[in-house]
Amino acid sequence: MVDAPPELTEEQRRELEKKLKSMTPDQIQQLQKQQCIFCQIISGKIPSKKVYEDHSCLAVLDINPATRGHLLLLPKEHYAIMPQVPQKELEHLFSISKLLSRLQLRALRVSGTNIFIANGPAAGQRAQHFMIHLLPRKEGDHLLPVKDKLIDPSLLEKVKDTVQDRLSVLLGKRISSRKEDSTEPASSKPELVEKEMKKQQKPKKNRASKKREIKEESEEQKEENSDPTASLDEIAELFK
Amino acid sequence: MGCELCDILAGESRAVILYEDDTTLIAVRDNVLTPGQITIFPKHHIPILEMVPENILGHCAALANAVSVAVFENLGAKGTNLLIRNGLGAGQNIPHFGIEVIPRQENDGLNLQWEPKQLMEDEMDRTFVLLKDELAALQGQKEKPTPAEKIAEQKEVVSEPKEEKINEKEKPNYLLKSVKKIP
Repeated sequence: MVDAPPELTEEQRRELEKKLKSMTPDQIQQLQKQQCIFCQIISGKIPSKKVYEDHSCLAVLDINPATRGHLLLLPKEHYAIMPQVPQKELEHLFSISKLLSRLQLRALRVSGTNIFIANGPAAGQRAQHFMIHLLPRKEGDHLLPVKDKLIDPSLLEKVKDTVQDRLSVLLGKRISSRKEDSTEPASSKPELVEKEMKKQQKPKKNRASKKREIKEESEEQKEENSDPTASLDEIAELFK
Repeated sequence: MGCELCDILAGESRAVILYEDDTTLIAVRDNVLTPGQITIFPKHHIPILEMVPENILGHCAALANAVSVAVFENLGAKGTNLLIRNGLGAGQNIPHFGIEVIPRQENDGLNLQWEPKQLMEDEMDRTFVLLKDELAALQGQKEKPTPAEKIAEQKEVVSEPKEEKINEKEKPNYLLKSVKKIP
């Protein structure tokens, strides 16, 4: 997307590496920001077609779209990959994705949308700024020509065994704690969701308990955030 | 019946459940784009994104993020894709909203890339105006009383469950309509 910088000599490269190593994560983030084309779109230094904007995010038309109406939803803050995005912000981005998807369905008269995120170059991520792609879709457009296929059932348990421990740490050990509910008849499911909605909405009425909950939540988040940092560096390394 | 994700919830599936809470399930399914793929979905049978209540959507997003981190760290993935297939035209093959977390390796043969296009300036402009106008219309609607969205998201759900159901029925109709419009 951007012109490749001129090749560095071996000496320059080593010097740069040394410099990078001595920088704090904050400084590195600053550097990335300065060189990020999407941060410049957000600040208005590079012109764009802004379809939606609020305090924390911006949606623009992709200048090299997969198809007409392809939108990029960008957090205004510079994050390289999704795990770096704070939970509240990610929730907001998904909420806006829902709005934008509805927008595409209605305005462009398409029969579907893909919400697509790529984390890491192996996943096809090309820019260093985390973003959500919103692709308007029509049958037969062959945009993402992928098909589900059946895999060996023995693999499923393997995936579970490999991932579950880490996931339960990340999610605060809430895994499979409600087995008894899974056997309830289908007819009770709507009530279940409503009950949950009630639960989640009650705190809004009660300010004191809301505050308490937010406190608890932020503590929870701190734990979650502090845990995976070591590996995040590794993931960020993938860009080099 | 006929919904692969509801079958998982009912325990009538070969899929393996990774996590479960009051509203949401995380499962490893056997019909996937690539092994290691993990699906996050609401327990409630919600066909499309536009019908997912905000709080549940946010929760699914947070779970998908955690799954993505776990897949990076423990499955040795070099990258992850998150994909929502929303509507038939988008390749949705299960009538139940879900977020797919897809672990990626270099040269894993999975093609999730598209050809970047260069559109004519006036076509970009037209698309831009269409989207902006629709956004203005949608936001205008939001200020009117009892739009479907507000009911789904706010407390009224509890006191006016009937109205919510009506609105839910209207929305898939709209989607179906948009499908029928395709020549």
